[in-house]
Amino acid sequence: MQIAILSGKGGAGKTLVAVNLVNLINLSTYIDCDVEEPNGKLYFSSEYNKKDINVLVPKINYKKCTHCNKCVDFCRYNALIDFLGKVKLLPSLCHSCGGCKLVCEFDAITEVKEPIGYIYQGDYKYHQIYGGELKIGKESGIEIISQLISKADKEKINIIDCPPGNGCSVMESIEQADYCILVSEPTIFGLENLKLVHELTTLYNKNIGLIINKANDYNNIIEDFAKTKDISIIGYIPFDKELAKLNSNQQLVSDNNKFKPYFIKIIEQIKQEVDL
Amino acid sequence: MIIALPTKESGEKAFVSENLGRANYFYLYDTKTKEGKSFKNNFLNELHGAGVKTAEFLLKYSTDILITPRIGEKALEILLETDINIYKSTEKIARENINDFLNDNLEKLY
Repeated sequence: MQIAILSGKGGAGKTLVAVNLVNLINLSTYIDCDVEEPNGKLYFSSEYNKKDINVLVPKINYKKCTHCNKCVDFCRYNALIDFLGKVKLLPSLCHSCGGCKLVCEFDAITEVKEPIGYIYQGDYKYHQIYGGELKIGKESGIEIISQLISKADKEKINIIDCPPGNGCSVMESIEQADYCILVSEPTIFGLENLKLVHELTTLYNKNIGLIINKANDYNNIIEDFAKTKDISIIGYIPFDKELAKLNSNQQLVSDNNKFKPYFIKIIEQIKQEVDL
Repeated sequence: MIIALPTKESGEKAFVSENLGRANYFYLYDTKTKEGKSFKNNFLNELHGAGVKTAEFLLKYSTDILITPRIGEKALEILLETDINIYKSTEKIARENINDFLNDNLEKLY
């Protein structure tokens, strides 16, 4: 079982929801797919094991290359260019599709490993904690996310903490999800970002639930949209200074009796949608 | 010597484009023949690497001088490995920027 937590914008409360659900669901696994800014592990004191992640990039054998430029023309990411009569690779643009090697008729392209980051694994109580980090300057963390998702234990509940937005890295994160939780906040900005991410989960035909975080007197901004799109609201987390303070001090707010009920209620709602 | 500029429209009277890789046109001027020509930017709508394709285009046409308001990181990385010199354009039309360069009135970026 994979439950993905996503939102159109950063700071909406994905990680807040994800880590606290993990905290309250027995034996659940936390997978932080926000490999550009991973911060979920801050909530879980643990020793972490690291494993490097590589992608394959082309290497050109200039003795064999005839400068036919077939690879240059083929590369839709423009990672190969004709540089003064020589094929030049721009590794930061390469998406590791391997197409250039296939179109080369002169066997002049081989693929070599290029490190792009690492994944880490740790334990917290009875939970497995996974995350990854993309190296600074690298453009795509898709391979790291794909490796992280492969760690999901089919027998257990896996909470996937997605990157913000609705781009490729979010798509990779939710692809295998059985249920998606959209986290939003009651502002116009929050609504616009919710619309984008809702469009994505609709495209992927996902079963979804919505959480309004920082709930206040303006919840109707989000509630009205949920009504028109027939999205079930599975919980509210209040706009509360004490909660914000605990959370920003790396505390799991679901360990606090004042805030635990909000997350228990969310879990009960999820249980009505999927088997936990 | 070949001088290149990204421009908003075609022709020497066009204003310099605010972007290099995403310019509508490139104006190339040959100081030997005193003739210039505009080229449509074929990579304007590329999702990735419009800047590097522009660098490739400039190399293909043996550019010596690039006059541009700014340059992206990737295109710069490529052009720094070449003999192309890069100068900062002003908000004038292409022709006037070329004259300013020839009169030594433009700031050298790289």
